[in-house]
Formats: sequence, C-alpha cells, structure tokens
Amino acid sequence: MQKTTPSKRGGSWIWQALTGVLLILLLGLHMIAQHFVVSGGLRTFQDVIDYLRNPVILVLEAIFMLVVTYHAMVGVRAILYDLGLDEAGKKKATTVLTILGALIIVWAAYLLLRLTSM
Amino acid sequence: MTPIPIQQATRRRKALRAWFDPRGRGLGFIAFALQRITGLGLVLYLLLHMAVLTTLLQGESAWDQFVAFAKSPIMLLFDLLLIAGILIHGLNGLRVSIVGLGFGVKQHKTFFWIMMLLSALLFVYAGWLLFAH
Repeated sequence: MQKTTPSKRGGSWIWQALTGVLLILLLGLHMIAQHFVVSGGLRTFQDVIDYLRNPVILVLEAIFMLVVTYHAMVGVRAILYDLGLDEAGKKKATTVLTILGALIIVWAAYLLLRLTSM
Repeated sequence: MTPIPIQQATRRRKALRAWFDPRGRGLGFIAFALQRITGLGLVLYLLLHMAVLTTLLQGESAWDQFVAFAKSPIMLLFDLLLIAGILIHGLNGLRVSIVGLGFGVKQHKTFFWIMMLLSALLFVYAGWLLFAH
C-alpha cells in the first residue's frame, strides 16, 4: 500500500477524519443520554423539553448537529466525486450539498430554539 | 440541463453496482464499499430523524403516537439495522483515519477485523439493551 500524507489528499480528508472522531464521542453521548439510560429507550415529551433546556446539553446537541451535517455532506460529495463527475458536475454537487447542509442546520436550529421555548 | 453522456452514466452505474458485489474483491474494497453504503444509509437516517423530531412541535399527543410506533417490533428491527450501520461506519472510519495518518498501515487488514469484531460485540450488547429493556 502506498503511503500518502493527509496534505497530499487535500484538506477535506483531515477534516472528515477529525469530525468523524468527534462524532464518535458526540453520538456516543447522544445515544447514552437520549436512549440507553432512558426507560423504554425514548424520553417522554416533557423529558425531551426539560433535557434540552439544560444549556450544556443544548450546546452539545447544537455542536452535534453542525458536525454531523458537515461530515454527512462532505461524505456524500466524496462519493459523487468518485463516480466520475466532470469539473462542472463537481461544482454543481458542491453547491447543492452546501445548500442542503445549510438548510439542515437552519432546520435543526429552528427545532432546538422552538423546543426550548415551549 | 445537459444530458449525461451514455458512457459516463454507464460508468457511474457500474461503480455503484460494484459496491454490492464482493466477488473477487480484496478486503480493502469491501471495507471501502461498506463505509460508503453505511454512510449513505446514515445520511438518509439523519433526514428521517430530523423529520421525526419535528413531530415534537405538534405537541405531546403527536410525540406519544410516535413513541408507541417506535416501540413496535418492526421499528426495533430498524433500530438494530441503524446500530449496525453506526458501529460499522464509526469503527471502520476510525480505522481509516488512524491508518491514513500513517499508523498501523501494515496491519490494516488485522485492524479491520478487530474493528468488525468490536462492532459485532457492541451490536450484541446494544441489541440486548434494546430488547431486554
């Protein structure tokens, strides 16, 4: 196997690896706190609201959404690039995925803000 | 919109189909295909999860209806599939990151099997948590 350094593969590879490692921690925390320690695996309506009203949890969930959305969109872009897109196709894919990622983040922020103000 | 040339479209279809065909492939390709397939599945789940969480805005009764549905056997099986996807993607991704940084390059195949074994053990534990509680 030929050894390549991250710098030779482009900056997005190292960011994808870093966000991936961060996601293991954030998703692990999310799964434990939201599902595994909760009786029945899912919080009740009021429990979800109370849980999100904790500022530390709110910040962690917001960071989780940002990181997971970035990681997902860059991952999909890598798959599309590997399918042999030409330069124009790559530009279009990047634009569409950037917009989709921004919409997901806005949607998540709206949800978090509405739920914490309920 | 410019039509996609036939050769290019065929090449893309072949590339996608190859992910689901492990015949004659090395371990590296299988790991690569697994990472891509689970990754796409998790992106779809992210969107589905956001849609489900939006039901919280409709109030307590809408959420209670969803919770009752989520506890049905078919949804628990779907949860198992999700956990398998998260474990394979997460642990294989961690391996790819570590190997990509130059560590354990020569042992990458052993490393892959260790991660898959760890995924299997955590999967059994998560399955036990899911069905026993």
